[in-house]
Amino acid sequence: MSGRREADCPLDFSVVVPLYNEEESVQLLYERITEAVAPMGRAYEILFVNDGSRDRTLEIAAGLASRDPHLKVIEFRGNYGQTPAMAAGIDHARGRFIVTMDGDLQNDPADIPVMLDELTEDFDMVVGWRKNRQDKLITRKVPSWIANRLIGKVTGVPIKDNGCSLKVYRASVIKKVPLYSEMHRFIPAMASIAGARVREVPVRHHARQFGQSKYGLSRVYKVLLDLLAIKTITGFAQRPLVWFGMLAIPFALLSLAFLVASLVPLFGEPGALSLPFAGTALLLAALSFFLVMGGALGELIYTTGDLDMSRYSGITAVTSRERLPEGAPQAPQPGSQGALGDA
Amino acid sequence: MHEATVDISAVIPVGSRRDDVAALVGEYAEGLRSAGVSFEVIVVLGGDCNGVAAQLAEMADANDWLRLIELARDFGESSALTAGFDAARGRSILTLPAYYQVVPAELPKLVAAGEESDMVIAVRWPRAGSALEGWRRNVFHGVLNFITGQRYRDLGCGVRLMKREVAEEIPLYGERHRFFPTLARSRGYQVREIEVAQSPQDDFRGRYRVREYLHRLLDILTLFFLVRFIKKPLRFFGTIGFIVGALGVLFLAVLIVQRLFFGVGLADRPALLLSSLMVVLGVQIFALGLIGELVIFTHARELKEYAVRRVIGGDRPAGED
Repeated sequence: MSGRREADCPLDFSVVVPLYNEEESVQLLYERITEAVAPMGRAYEILFVNDGSRDRTLEIAAGLASRDPHLKVIEFRGNYGQTPAMAAGIDHARGRFIVTMDGDLQNDPADIPVMLDELTEDFDMVVGWRKNRQDKLITRKVPSWIANRLIGKVTGVPIKDNGCSLKVYRASVIKKVPLYSEMHRFIPAMASIAGARVREVPVRHHARQFGQSKYGLSRVYKVLLDLLAIKTITGFAQRPLVWFGMLAIPFALLSLAFLVASLVPLFGEPGALSLPFAGTALLLAALSFFLVMGGALGELIYTTGDLDMSRYSGITAVTSRERLPEGAPQAPQPGSQGALGDA
Repeated sequence: MHEATVDISAVIPVGSRRDDVAALVGEYAEGLRSAGVSFEVIVVLGGDCNGVAAQLAEMADANDWLRLIELARDFGESSALTAGFDAARGRSILTLPAYYQVVPAELPKLVAAGEESDMVIAVRWPRAGSALEGWRRNVFHGVLNFITGQRYRDLGCGVRLMKREVAEEIPLYGERHRFFPTLARSRGYQVREIEVAQSPQDDFRGRYRVREYLHRLLDILTLFFLVRFIKKPLRFFGTIGFIVGALGVLFLAVLIVQRLFFGVGLADRPALLLSSLMVVLGVQIFALGLIGELVIFTHARELKEYAVRRVIGGDRPAGED
């Protein structure tokens, strides 16, 4: 699992696609991916992770897998969500590079060869940027724009499009990043604390052809909580005590203010000390103390955790390179590379 | 666990609540024999069962399908079951209570149903007992079903048949054995309920005291957390903390507005204490959620959030291209 080395990655790259109720697109998706990657002439595999679909997705995918040895289908026992599906695909992947993408055909598999080329020695991860996003403005694009700005600010990894699933990773890096809950949105941020170098590349994006979008506005609240969790995990990864200490400061100051307010009557006009003020001061003082203690507990958790934190530095480099002219079709054809490879 | 050599391993944890175990073991064995499967019976004795141990040891000498495991003391039913699972050699595992719950002759029904599902649990039906007991049971299961989104009618029944991998995969400790089916289903296994005749000797006299109710309540909370939020502690704590804290802030805002614009003094209002207490509590609960996130992050790799049923295709040897 976590201890995989290069030797355990006999293939060149793996394409991981989580599928949930995608019976209409799975066949087309498979064909598009194969068209895009087969001419490259590199050893590859496609991993379809069936996340408990209730339609014929599994049946169709299994049928495809029986004909093409490049395709592997991982069947879940139930529906666990997109991030666990990606995590499963990544755990099973045998390629040195791992490509992840959505199963709804909104990402274009033709971008895969380009992104693989972009993943040079200098980078550990190439993330897609849906420059001309084909989604509804109010319910999808605006919340997404705000979320991306916020995520960039909070995590310090200014990626324009965290929600784009089309990403290419160095397997040795992504297999070290813990993936759970709905953290797939934050993979670049999570990986960057492991010292990963991230590059962003514009990719094409298509309007939804089949089925319904599976996400809506309700996730805003979840994203906010996740973001806070990420901030706790990443920003202060090595110093939970400091992070909790910072949280405690405003409450400690407030406590002090109330304490002063409660003591004022002792010096000025005659009258009893204000019990509610004094009580509030005590409560807030207790809270700051509690938070600092929480930080100490955090230190304990990190020390005993199974992550090698010494590897987790905060260094990251993010560059963005314009590759696609606006709206124009893709310039380099994957076929030409295949021809070179054959020659 | 050992290699599977028999069809069914029956595991019987023996604790403080027990009937005539030796007689019961005989009846269970009879029931399994009539189901036409090869089986073994593993009795796990939790501590203080002197008389029973001697009696069963004698029985085990005479019958090679019976094995005994004696624990140093009573560690609880979940631990006893785990000890039994570790020793089991069956392809399926059947847990049985050390007291009368179902008619042992009904076991073949369970065995037959076990062919098709990952786990089969017995429901004692028709059910004896007073209306009050029935009502209590309905409330408990109603709340539980509401929280977990699964449907069970008799989680109190210890008669459960499961495929070996179910027992291997789900860790049991504390009181978790009670919710074994719930945990199994949340890992994606199919669980089926089978109606089985209740034993006439099944009775709960004096079993339900106040403490028992409190335990059930905490069990429900535990389960709620385990099934829904095990990997997202901040969603759980954060939501509760946010609600409590927001109420406090709202209350505080009202007080401040009153102080600033309506000339109501702040210093002598106990309501200030209440609202700041709520803010403090909210922040504390939230902070617990953050600590939870740290725990999950640093220990995430041990907890797989998904369960793979099978992998299809892709058996091509590497490096063929």
